[in-house]
Amino acid sequence: MSHPHDFHVSKEFTGLSINHHDHYSSQDEPPPPMISSEGIVAIDITRKFVEAAKTLEPGELVKDGYFTLFESVGALEIMDPKMDSGCLAPGESLDDDYDVTRPLLPGEVMGIIDQLLCLEMAWHLGYPLSQTLLTNVYIEAMLNPAPANLKEAHFIRDTENEAAQDPMFIILRAYCLGLLKSCWYVNERIKFEHYYEEEDFVTNTYHRSLLDNIDRDEIRDEIMSARRLVHSLRPKILDDMADGLSFRLELRAAFLRAIELSELRSSPESLSLPWSQMKSVWEPINKSRHFGTPVPEAFSTKLQRRLASTMPPRPIVQLSFEETYDHFKKLFVDGINVLKVLNYTDSQSLLNFVLTFQAQKPQPLVYIRTLLQNFLFKDMVILGHLSIRHVIDDDLSIIVLPCSRLLDPANDDVEAPHDARFAIAHQMELFRQRTAQSYLDIFRAFCQNRCRVRRTLCHSIQDWETVQLDAEEIDQLLQVQLDEKPIHYETTLSNSTQEPTYSLPLSSWAYLYKLRLMEWIVQLGFELETYQPDELAGMYWYLSFLSKTRAQHAERIKAFTLSRHDNLRDNNQLTPTMEAQFARSLAYIRVTILDAAVTWELADALYCLYTCLGRLGLIHPPPRPYSSDELRYDIRMKPFAPISLPKLPSYESFRHATDQRKSSTAALLDYAQRAVGGARKGYEVLSKLSEKEAFTVGAHERWVKGTKSCLRSVIAASIAISSVRKVVKTGEDGRDEPEKLVVEVPRAEACYHDWWIVPKVSERE
Amino acid sequence: MEAARVAELPGELKYIQYEHSLEAQYLPAIRALISKDLSEPYSIYVYRYFLYQWGHLCYMALDPRDSSLIGVIICKLEPHASHSPPTLRGYIAMLAVSAPYRGHGVATALVKMAIDAMAHRNADEIVLETEETNLPAMRLYERLGFLRSKKLHRYYLNGNSAYRLVLLLRHIDPDAAADLALDDMEMMHR
Repeated sequence: MSHPHDFHVSKEFTGLSINHHDHYSSQDEPPPPMISSEGIVAIDITRKFVEAAKTLEPGELVKDGYFTLFESVGALEIMDPKMDSGCLAPGESLDDDYDVTRPLLPGEVMGIIDQLLCLEMAWHLGYPLSQTLLTNVYIEAMLNPAPANLKEAHFIRDTENEAAQDPMFIILRAYCLGLLKSCWYVNERIKFEHYYEEEDFVTNTYHRSLLDNIDRDEIRDEIMSARRLVHSLRPKILDDMADGLSFRLELRAAFLRAIELSELRSSPESLSLPWSQMKSVWEPINKSRHFGTPVPEAFSTKLQRRLASTMPPRPIVQLSFEETYDHFKKLFVDGINVLKVLNYTDSQSLLNFVLTFQAQKPQPLVYIRTLLQNFLFKDMVILGHLSIRHVIDDDLSIIVLPCSRLLDPANDDVEAPHDARFAIAHQMELFRQRTAQSYLDIFRAFCQNRCRVRRTLCHSIQDWETVQLDAEEIDQLLQVQLDEKPIHYETTLSNSTQEPTYSLPLSSWAYLYKLRLMEWIVQLGFELETYQPDELAGMYWYLSFLSKTRAQHAERIKAFTLSRHDNLRDNNQLTPTMEAQFARSLAYIRVTILDAAVTWELADALYCLYTCLGRLGLIHPPPRPYSSDELRYDIRMKPFAPISLPKLPSYESFRHATDQRKSSTAALLDYAQRAVGGARKGYEVLSKLSEKEAFTVGAHERWVKGTKSCLRSVIAASIAISSVRKVVKTGEDGRDEPEKLVVEVPRAEACYHDWWIVPKVSERE
Repeated sequence: MEAARVAELPGELKYIQYEHSLEAQYLPAIRALISKDLSEPYSIYVYRYFLYQWGHLCYMALDPRDSSLIGVIICKLEPHASHSPPTLRGYIAMLAVSAPYRGHGVATALVKMAIDAMAHRNADEIVLETEETNLPAMRLYERLGFLRSKKLHRYYLNGNSAYRLVLLLRHIDPDAAADLALDDMEMMHR
């Protein structure tokens, strides 16, 4: 292609154009490519193109209708060193000339291994292989060209080369074999489960095979013989150095073993052995790292040019060994702990396991999170041995249907279509099919990163809204089959003057989940620092509204459970087994009501406190010239707007509730202090519950820790309220003296619990 | 390294709207200014993608002495498809002010001009993403009325997360706006 004759570009403009070829004059253009193939009719469009181009002014742009932002972002500029992967600086060579056959000292081998550990962790954290492990020249030489068998998997391919038999190379090679094979397994595990590419993790291997066709046992043998070799080298190399190398090889063997065992999904005690082994060699590895000598020249960004990628070379991700140390240590502990999920006791303990495990800070690495998903869901068999039905029925029996005829497995065997049990079996199966996915999705959602958990739940609540409606239809069919009589119920929270009502167990179950999901969305909003300080009053008010609704709903469930229990007892139909089931269910409802109550009381206290801080001018809303309170309410409450039960409060009632104009500041603070008192009592009771009472079997330690953090938040809130109370006038005399105080709204991470943002109130110096 | 800040601006800055005829004069400076804060530069096509279609939503702050570029804002405005009915959504794609001139309200002035222009063209809402660590940017937008609607995990290449900020300009029927996946722009930063 030649430029139109009158094409000229201004000087500033030259650097921008990618079509500006200085290399070819119009006389000296390259020959057109030979295109000849059956079915292709080549047409020379040069003339047409030149004619068309003549109609354009210089610099005029034409945009194709199909040219998208995505394409513009993917476009590259040739000869721009930051975009063009082949662009070299003057005098720069395409490759570094690093000789992988040059002899290595033991310290250098250790130095390279330790650098590889840092890069491996950077990969686990979400950086691509291209910026981590694939920047190492030994790994590149081992993987490229792709080795067909174990023998070829060596950075010195020429086996005649004596260097290949150098003990230091045998050790480094064995380490790399183990490293790459475990990376392959990790990558496959993550790809198989739900995760977010490039956000949680980059699975791209740039057409490098991570030794997927080489047997894991063969690799383990290589590692073992390398360890024996290290041993035989004593005393030629120092004991400390030999130990250090040996521990590093042991780490690789144990990692492969841990991965292998995790496929079994049974007997967590035996599965945890290699994880414990890694944990115990990790300390001596850390202590021996000063024996290593860094070999920075064995790592190069230039290797990225050989990968199947259009990306220009990006810098190597350099984690410090201290960071790497902490992350690996956490990985091994999480690896041991995640296995405990396999000890199933009941569906609610399982849920609490997942909730508390994922709430850890920092969150477990994506590999552990996908391992947890694998344990939970693989092949639609829960934890390797439970049917989905088993878990759902367990959950229904805990929450709403202890000893219910609806859950009797014998119903399935009834063949007479007119028998109520036949209809019950059929309707219950429809319900399970309708709800299984939504139910399991709660577990799946909590296995994601925290930002995604919140975003996913914003969608889930709409799903649960329809689950609830569909369940209600089935409830109505079932109450006919059971010949259920409606009852009046009274609770401590609402004196019921309503018409007698039916129990609606399945939709009650769904509604309870929906309410919890809604609370979690608000709570994760605090954790993720989504709210500005002047929004906190409103968001704690809404949280209180939701948890109060949940407590009322749990009271309703309790009333029906008690009524059914009393009926059976009065008719002498209660066996000890049935008593135990009822007791379990009532214990669950108790802990649910308690949890909802402490949430609403502490939320009440904080919303009153924040309302007062706003009134006293200690928290200032920004000017916001482009927004109104009502429009911001629209945005903030958008996830909840489509939900019909509980209906989102109108903006007017929200404003009314958070303003509390009719209450004096002193009265609000007094109310807040009473609410805090209630929350404190509640959290104290909660933190003393046993794992059975709290439904936290297998997760109790983490759960208690969380509950105690809430208790500390309560105490902090109480102190903050008292401090503010001191500067607020009582009665008509005197005046408020907010100028005596300084208020700071801390970051979530600086709070005792990241769902409770308690302001720090201090006296002005 | 950040250049030393100027104590005061060199007089009244000139604020002008971009148009294509200014490409040769200002695009290299725009690119240079924006690239300073990016680990990887956008290609010329990214700039042209925005400026060709929405040059009228791009404003520049110029030094009155020599008309050199001090700050720039680049936006787009189009129907957002995953809503039913679709909203007309403004998006602030890039905002940059030369380091020595920061802290004098130049960015705020540019954002206000862009919001006014988009509101004038009936935008329902304006969105953007900002790095979680970029507190000055978040303060700037939040002072104008933006809210953080969600956090985006490891959104940027450097591994940092982002917040999606939203400014709603008019009430949208909640029954119509059931879709919350506001993710069309996420590849911008990949």
